[in-house]
Amino acid sequence: MIAIGMEGSANKVGIGIMLHPTDGSEPRVLANVRHTYNSPPGEGFLPKDTARHHRAWVVKLVKQALREARISADEVDCICYTKGPGMGAPLQSIAIAARMLSLLWGKELVGVNHCVGHIEMGRLITGATNPVVLYVSGGNTQVIAYSSQRYRIFGETLDIAVGNCLDRFARTLHIPNDPAPGYNIEQLAKKGKRLVDLPYVVKGMDCSFSGILAAVDALASTLGLAGAEQAQNDDDDDADTKNDKPTRADLCFSLQETIYSMLVEITERAMAHVGSKQVLIVGGVGSNVRLQEMMGIMARDRGGSVFATDERFCIDNGIMIAQAGMLAFREGLTTPLKESTCTQRFRTDEVFVKWRQD
Amino acid sequence: MATLDEYKPPPLPAPFTNTNPPPILLTQGAEAHLYKTTSLNPSTPAALKIRPTKPYRHPILDRRLTRSRIVQEARCLVKLVKEGVSVPAVLALDCEGQGGEEASWGGAWLLMEWIEGPVVRVVLEQWEAWMKAQIHLEETVRISEEDRVRGLMRRMGETIGALHKAGVVHGDLTTSNLMLQPFEGESEANDSVSMEGKIILIDFGLASQSAQDEDRAVDLYVMERAIGSTHPRTEPLFDSLLQGYRESYKGAVSALKRLEDVRLRGRKRSMLG
Amino acid sequence: MAQLETLALPHLPSSLPVHVALYCDVQNSAFLKQQLLEGNADFEYALVDASMVLTRAHATAAIFRAVNDYMNGRLMSRNVHSEIVFSLSPANNIADSFRKFGIADATKDLLVVRVSVSPEITHESVAAHLATAIQGTSVPFDDETLSEVSDITKIKKAYKLGALPSPSSKTECNGTADNDAKRRLELSLVGAIALRGS
Repeated sequence: MIAIGMEGSANKVGIGIMLHPTDGSEPRVLANVRHTYNSPPGEGFLPKDTARHHRAWVVKLVKQALREARISADEVDCICYTKGPGMGAPLQSIAIAARMLSLLWGKELVGVNHCVGHIEMGRLITGATNPVVLYVSGGNTQVIAYSSQRYRIFGETLDIAVGNCLDRFARTLHIPNDPAPGYNIEQLAKKGKRLVDLPYVVKGMDCSFSGILAAVDALASTLGLAGAEQAQNDDDDDADTKNDKPTRADLCFSLQETIYSMLVEITERAMAHVGSKQVLIVGGVGSNVRLQEMMGIMARDRGGSVFATDERFCIDNGIMIAQAGMLAFREGLTTPLKESTCTQRFRTDEVFVKWRQD
Repeated sequence: MATLDEYKPPPLPAPFTNTNPPPILLTQGAEAHLYKTTSLNPSTPAALKIRPTKPYRHPILDRRLTRSRIVQEARCLVKLVKEGVSVPAVLALDCEGQGGEEASWGGAWLLMEWIEGPVVRVVLEQWEAWMKAQIHLEETVRISEEDRVRGLMRRMGETIGALHKAGVVHGDLTTSNLMLQPFEGESEANDSVSMEGKIILIDFGLASQSAQDEDRAVDLYVMERAIGSTHPRTEPLFDSLLQGYRESYKGAVSALKRLEDVRLRGRKRSMLG
Repeated sequence: MAQLETLALPHLPSSLPVHVALYCDVQNSAFLKQQLLEGNADFEYALVDASMVLTRAHATAAIFRAVNDYMNGRLMSRNVHSEIVFSLSPANNIADSFRKFGIADATKDLLVVRVSVSPEITHESVAAHLATAIQGTSVPFDDETLSEVSDITKIKKAYKLGALPSPSSKTECNGTADNDAKRRLELSLVGAIALRGS
């Protein structure tokens, strides 16, 4: 059976094609293509512009994916699309494209929860059977564990998502958004050495990032490190090492050390709570090497291990929607055309996970 | 990729390397390891909570966090002992780490009074099992059994009330963090599970000093949910806990009013994309 | 012969036994204090005003804290013995802790502590020296004796615990409420010692 997955909940539009062989052997990725909308340094992506980008690219990408998969539209069994959560306008543009294909090809629709997509793809790629899942991206920060046919949220952010915190600090520093603001912060942080005191806010298994963002933003402007002019010096390795003031690199370093410690801490607490030794990191921020390293040390000290995927599957993509959609489709769960809406708010624990019996 | 070795706890910090017999590991939580050992008087037992250093985080951040958390926990306990609330007393504390600024051990330890007795979770589990095992339960027995549980719930409510009155919120109130310390000497004659004893609050790892209705209400809400999810037969008797709480201090009324709001929205808000 | 007790405190290395003696009606407190001020090494003791000590557990909490800080190289005062006096205090002011808990010229009841920080310091050597150095009546270091010498009002004031119910200082009225009050006060003192400086 073949599923096509369509994702566009944020600034990436992705199309993936997944084959679940009828003989029960390992599912195979037939195609996984993506295009990212990048705004200029110092700016975030706006819903209207992002939706326009997705509309302009979706047809091109579907054609490309079919070509790469060497299949025709006839062979597709279901069309899976992101129902939410995410930004309204971009979600709508992809939902409309999915409906159009459904009518055009006469295929069933399957609306997919974006977070569940990440989890199922992570499980498939890494082979982690029943991990505690840390889902970290520009829009989401959740610690999730499976229990009786739900992915239950044990902890989450009480305000902004961790990726949003990184994105906005990148804007303050005028760090480029290409390929991703978080990636560029990570590179700059490698040159940082001094740990600057920032707020550290963990409440049980929940955490908060807005206070940290405000504090690090304020530090950057007090030290005169914000803005486009300062960004010119980032490639200069010796910049600012002469004086005692923290540098832009130090701020990136401190921000990363602080927020990733918070994430590892709440993940560890969830692991202790449910008695699991596996951690799976999914979502765009999950491709950060320092986060993976810290999580690895924590898991090792608990006698467990960490599973992470690379940027093909960590960062939003179409294949994860195809995978989660296919699991639902095989259980007979489809989305009638009339109900093929999308929604900005869609909690991970609302999804009935019919395909897991453990 | 996965290496699921047998878990080995980190080595004990000084001075407990000297302790003879060595402390016995009871539980390993996310933050801390709990041991049973002796107090400064060799004939009295004590609980030792060790917060090991966390190698995954920056050593400066690690020390800062470990220190502030164990100090916060110890401060709450000392304050509560002073106020006469039933909690384990602090016997000794070391929050400075060992071996200089950025050296190997940034952990901390807290030596506390040992509390004898089962946690309330076990008492209720045993009671629910006993009730289930009665093939023919007479109505009078059922009522008297439920009255005993109501009495226990009421005392739990009173203890939580005393805690809140003292200006501390627990942060993680479950039936696993309440103990039933049996009275010395005689116990009641009963086929069923004993509910006699004094309620003691334990594990203040997430506690903080607060007198806000919101924090108090969340404490009660977490307790309510914990009983709902772990003790289905006990859940209908939860109002006795709230009754005991209501009568325990003046501010209880407004905290209970706030609890209604917290129940409606849940502990968490709905998630935006 | 003095009733010198040698404690092997749990968790402390066996190489560091602690020698403790309690005296009443001490006649030469002014002299003893002078030896401390002059830094006479023979008189390197913790000399504590015993009226400021509620119970054995109270004293051992301070001794344990001081020896643990000594082993970790974190003494705030001159040596482990001055640190024992300082450790009795809930506040960080060293001079003030000596005024409140240390020996004074008029001290009558005295708690003497010596830690075996070097191999020459043994039960015998300490007992022999105390026999000549201290002019007073040696009494057992136990809660019963301490309850006769401790000044609960002064102790509560030093620890800012005035709001706590007072146990009656005499041993005869030993009701449950009285025991509870004493236990609560004792645990509050021990807690304050543990928390000092944090």
